[in-house]
Amino acid sequence: MIAKDDFYTVQPKDVPPEMGEIRKLLATNELELDEQIEVFVVCRREGRLVACAGLDHYTIKCVAVAEDARGESLSLELGSEVIKLAAERGHFHLFLYTPSHNQQWFRGWGFHRLVEVPHFIVLMENSPIAIKQYCESLREQRPPGKKIAGIVLNANPFTLGHQYLVEKAAAECDWLHVFAVREDASLFSYPDRFALVESGVKHVANLTLHHGSDYIISRATFPGYFLKEKEIVDHSWAAIDLLLFRQYIAPALGITHRFVGTEPFDAVTNRYNADMKYWLQAASPTPPIEVVEVPRASVHGVPISASLVRRLLAQQDFSAIKELVPATTLQFLENKYSAHLSATR
Amino acid sequence: MKLRRSMLFVPGDNAAALSTAFVYQPDSIMFDLEDAVSPREKDSARLLVFQALQHPAYHEIETVVRINELNTEFGLKDLEAAVRGGAQIVRLPKTDTAEEIHELEAHVARIEKACGRSAGGTRLMAAIESASGVVNAVAIATASPRMVAIALAGFDYLVDMHTRRSGGSEPELFYARAAVLHAARAAHIDAFDVVYGDVNDDEGFLREVAIAKGLGFDGKSLIHPKQVELLHRAYAPTPEELEHAKRVLAAAEAAHRNGLGVVALDGKMIDPPVLEEAEMVLERAEAA
Amino acid sequence: MKVIKESLAGTLESSDLLVKVAPSDKGSLDIAIQSEVIKQFGKQIERVVTDTLNKLSITEGSFVIEDKGALDCVIRARVQAAVLRATGSEDMDWRKLS
Repeated sequence: MIAKDDFYTVQPKDVPPEMGEIRKLLATNELELDEQIEVFVVCRREGRLVACAGLDHYTIKCVAVAEDARGESLSLELGSEVIKLAAERGHFHLFLYTPSHNQQWFRGWGFHRLVEVPHFIVLMENSPIAIKQYCESLREQRPPGKKIAGIVLNANPFTLGHQYLVEKAAAECDWLHVFAVREDASLFSYPDRFALVESGVKHVANLTLHHGSDYIISRATFPGYFLKEKEIVDHSWAAIDLLLFRQYIAPALGITHRFVGTEPFDAVTNRYNADMKYWLQAASPTPPIEVVEVPRASVHGVPISASLVRRLLAQQDFSAIKELVPATTLQFLENKYSAHLSATR
Repeated sequence: MKLRRSMLFVPGDNAAALSTAFVYQPDSIMFDLEDAVSPREKDSARLLVFQALQHPAYHEIETVVRINELNTEFGLKDLEAAVRGGAQIVRLPKTDTAEEIHELEAHVARIEKACGRSAGGTRLMAAIESASGVVNAVAIATASPRMVAIALAGFDYLVDMHTRRSGGSEPELFYARAAVLHAARAAHIDAFDVVYGDVNDDEGFLREVAIAKGLGFDGKSLIHPKQVELLHRAYAPTPEELEHAKRVLAAAEAAHRNGLGVVALDGKMIDPPVLEEAEMVLERAEAA
Repeated sequence: MKVIKESLAGTLESSDLLVKVAPSDKGSLDIAIQSEVIKQFGKQIERVVTDTLNKLSITEGSFVIEDKGALDCVIRARVQAAVLRATGSEDMDWRKLS
């Protein structure tokens, strides 16, 4: 009937013909296609693709509008469509990446700046108060003390290496805050990983274990962490996660030191540690956080790592695993994984 | 007598349209909860229309709500919103039988009672969108004293007829138009012509309006505000028509003053229908 | 009625507003309003929102509102729609909506 803008969605994994047009549109907006985007909202006007917005779980990226279609309600309609799409997929608390010079545009979408890598990229969220509320809830758990440590663990699963790091940090500081990465993208589910961390640190008195959040190593703050192929990720991605930690989370809890294990096996995490020193310690208006890199605990000269444990698990080598994990983790692995296999024999 | 030349469609989920449609001063405004609204947004649009109906700006214009068919999960809820919100007319889409009007009427009466609205206050209109609707048009139009109008919906009707619009004189719409018109006249209610979809083609729109007006349609369903003024101008009487109408009414006046039972003008008798038509012409002239 | 899940209603388009609701983990009612006309109409918008929520007996929840110059009746409608979606209610008590 009336000729109007046609909004619809496409999924990159279906390799639709739109991908070519999307790439071109992004290129004219000086953007590259982000391979982690699951679905695009596109707008077709008189046969031409004039706008697109990508969604990677609950993060909006790769938003572009053709130059001759800008300055109209098109952008707001695009925003409404992608926000609605995210809601249909169960995501209401949303994040958004944009080059710094475009951030004003997204204020109109109801997004507010969280952190900025100066002159480069900005992470925004669709609430003026969410991060404040989160920090307030953290602040309520702020213990006394001057030297406060923080550790972020994925713990996939929790090993003696993790335990060693935790015990060392707790011994050297007044208090230790441990955060478990909440994103469910690992072999072991978040509830399982969290339970293992919990039993593995129970004996440490000056410690608070926190559930992870969208603000700490999540698909929003550090998407590269969750890439299937662990390539070297752009420097800026780690910056966002670390700046969030430095500007919001650390101040809420009074964290002065961040402890990490040295990372010989995982290229992404290794790079992350290096970035950590830069972004947490470099001069900036916010107080620096000292990064303490602790050499990994090892067994028979081999550093303990969760990936090694997973490999051994695949081989059902529980006697080897026993040397690498606390009793609680071993018990869990045996209950869940060896019993399963014998049941199928 | 209520002029119903223009019935402007307003998508029920469009806040901007709902906030400004009254500015265009159509004779009637139809808030659409049916085809204009996606299934996911039906609940939100329903509330938008419910609230808009109660806005003072809409107290001066006749309000119509196009509900979803009653056999959908949305229809009855839409009806609650429409009646409780104070809509003056409920438009039933895809009306095929008189029974559907009876069913609608029963629900409307029930809701009026439940919310304390005056019984009979809510009027009805039917949209004919299929061959069945066309052949049942008279029964539909006379199905209830609440019926005030019957409209032909061209697009769905033509799909049902296995054809499409051809432009020009469009014989494919002739029978349906005639059927709807006759039903309207037999029932003494208003007849609405089809929507004209190409909003960029003013000439085509006016050509169609001329045809409809010539056939006797009281009005047309409109999908764009600019069509309102175009339509009103097209329906405005010519100076000659206006002049004649004034003379007819003056003659009626004079006869009434002199206590005469019969009205005559230029040696001819003026029947009540002619009188009615003259009143209509005057109304259209005043409103143009 | 109780807010039991997250929900969204409305759009970012002119004369409309986007209402995002989430359950409150603190048991409080938090309303954050953003609007280009916050100075002139901020109080008014807040009044309409709280009035609408009161009538629906909503005492807990987090409401984030992005207003684009909506009329009161539009604000009422979108807040009501968001609440309906967040409470999972099928049936409305129409008397609470006027």
